[in-house]
Amino acid sequence: MAEEIEKTNKPEVSTSIFKKRWRKFKTLKRGYYSFITIVVLYLLSFILPLFVGRDALIVNYNGNYHFPIFKYYSAESFGQDLQGEANYRMLKKQFKEEDKGNWVLMPLYPFGPNENLLNELEGNPPHPPSGEHWAGTDDRGRDVFARLAYGFNIGLSFSIIVTFFAYFIGVSIGSTLGFFGGKVDFFGLRLIEIWSTLPFLYVIIIISSIIQPNFILLVFILMLFGWIGISYYIRGEFYREKARDYVSAGVSMGAKNRTLIFKHILPNSLTPVISYAPFAIVANIFSLVSLDFLGFGLPPPTPSWGQLMQQGLSNIENWWLIATPLMALFLTLLSITFIGEAIREAFDPKVYSRLR
Amino acid sequence: MILQFVPGGPLEMEIMKIRMGGKSGSTESGSTTGGTTQNIPQSAIDELKKFYGFDKPLHERYLIWIGNLLKFDLGRSYVYAEPVWDVIKSRFPVSIYFGLIGFLLTYLVCVPLGVYKAVKNGSAFDFLTSALVFIGYSIPGFAFGALMIVLFGGGSFWDVFPLGGFRSEDWESLSAWGKVTDQVYHTILPVASYMIGSFATLTILTKNSVIENLSQDYVRTAYSKGLSEKRVIFGHALRNSLIPIATGLGHAVSLVLAGSLLIERVFNINGIGLLGYESIVQRDYPVTMGILVISSLLLLLGNIISDMIYAFVDPRIRFK
Repeated sequence: MAEEIEKTNKPEVSTSIFKKRWRKFKTLKRGYYSFITIVVLYLLSFILPLFVGRDALIVNYNGNYHFPIFKYYSAESFGQDLQGEANYRMLKKQFKEEDKGNWVLMPLYPFGPNENLLNELEGNPPHPPSGEHWAGTDDRGRDVFARLAYGFNIGLSFSIIVTFFAYFIGVSIGSTLGFFGGKVDFFGLRLIEIWSTLPFLYVIIIISSIIQPNFILLVFILMLFGWIGISYYIRGEFYREKARDYVSAGVSMGAKNRTLIFKHILPNSLTPVISYAPFAIVANIFSLVSLDFLGFGLPPPTPSWGQLMQQGLSNIENWWLIATPLMALFLTLLSITFIGEAIREAFDPKVYSRLR
Repeated sequence: MILQFVPGGPLEMEIMKIRMGGKSGSTESGSTTGGTTQNIPQSAIDELKKFYGFDKPLHERYLIWIGNLLKFDLGRSYVYAEPVWDVIKSRFPVSIYFGLIGFLLTYLVCVPLGVYKAVKNGSAFDFLTSALVFIGYSIPGFAFGALMIVLFGGGSFWDVFPLGGFRSEDWESLSAWGKVTDQVYHTILPVASYMIGSFATLTILTKNSVIENLSQDYVRTAYSKGLSEKRVIFGHALRNSLIPIATGLGHAVSLVLAGSLLIERVFNINGIGLLGYESIVQRDYPVTMGILVISSLLLLLGNIISDMIYAFVDPRIRFK
């Protein structure tokens, strides 16, 4: 019975605190709108081939419907005179000229991120921005806007995953140190200090210069260096919470360490996790862009912003190669920073009044 | 407290060396045996291995390396065929030049700006500079540098500043005034990029610290005994607000090395960062290791200096 009451009561209590903070968060317009924009864009970026991509959504050919976005069709299957996969942009033109009632429905922006457009464009790459290619093409004739759009999903997913795992490690270590204290804390802290003196960008570059990094490996390496900051905060929170009466009450009732940690202290110590996570995401996007920029990041031909910037630096007369990824990076980071700032204010409403 | 850092030195190098040693062993021998075995006689390979010290097992090499390190011998660079210390030493002035100027300018701009923002909290000026701060926070320094190069480096827009480098190639032949202006021209863009990195954090840190202190009781007391606003802010609040900022000063030591890799790469400045990058690309492991060791030591030193400054400026802090 008691358990049942606890079960029914607990979520309500916790949601009400959360609701209060959420309500406060909503009043901070800048952060709230940034939050909505980023979430919507990020969710949309998972179905990105529907909006940006080389594959047609629907092809109506001789009365039959085809959905190339899900399935591979060779060029011959639509009567196209090409090798390999069908080129749907050309197909669209072809169908229009033929005027036989065949039609192609293309995505809004009909270019893929890894697609070489050299045979369709005149002149040498990189091509400047135009009505057709909003952000021009890069030095291999790939559409920059498509690469930016796909890079957004990859970059953001990457840094969210890294942040999640790094925080998982950081919270585990921080709470262990904070809860047990004493010798565990002392030696643990020394180890953390040693670990934190490693210049992390440098070490990552060393590692990735030796092993060709892939997504998972990079997540793993960045994770190994990302947990230090949060573990300090969690440790501090645990020290503070441990001294509270409710913990003493739990101890005197004979609660096990596990119950104390996970049920009582941890839920009360998670504020720094939520308020620092957006900034950690920003930092991880930074790291990925820097690594890609140096050429030690995700393997080509992964669309990445850092790689575009590198191209921009080696072709400085082609300004769009650096201006567009920088703009994308800037807007993304700016909105995430706004979100972070708003979250911090919602969770930790410190009001300083000027006294005079 | 300070003593606790000391065991960190060798131990942390140990970790690095184990990781590094493992890697340098596997790849280097991998590339010598894997890539070129076919046309080079075995004896030559053995000789090469002996020359680079790869004829001994991993742990032995590691012990030798640590032993040499204790004698302040970092080994010889494969690429430059010079002692590692000399190679690194020759790059110090450039890195320190940019690092120090960037560091000083950042503090000179950010601290007054932060104080002013705090005093005028909520004003139009505060709002405008906050926007600037957010922009600065959202642009990585190296990306800003790259953009500046595109804009001002004579690509498709203005040709105002040089593309990078420390000085012009004909620097020696210029007149004294020419030397100065040339140096300044080469300094502006990299230093701006250095600054943008720490600009946002330092300004906000200063502002928050001052605001927090302005809401303390002792400020109220100061006002109530009739002191002028100037006296209260500069004589009372500011001194306490600068404590967290002063603490960061210790890290100036490592800043000279740490943050510069990307910016030196963008501007092609021959500093420590670029040396480290090249040493990795060229598999020049003694140099890589040397830089790792030196930068880790500097970081530790920076931590210690920070702690000392902290204890020095804030008498409430006492390390047991």
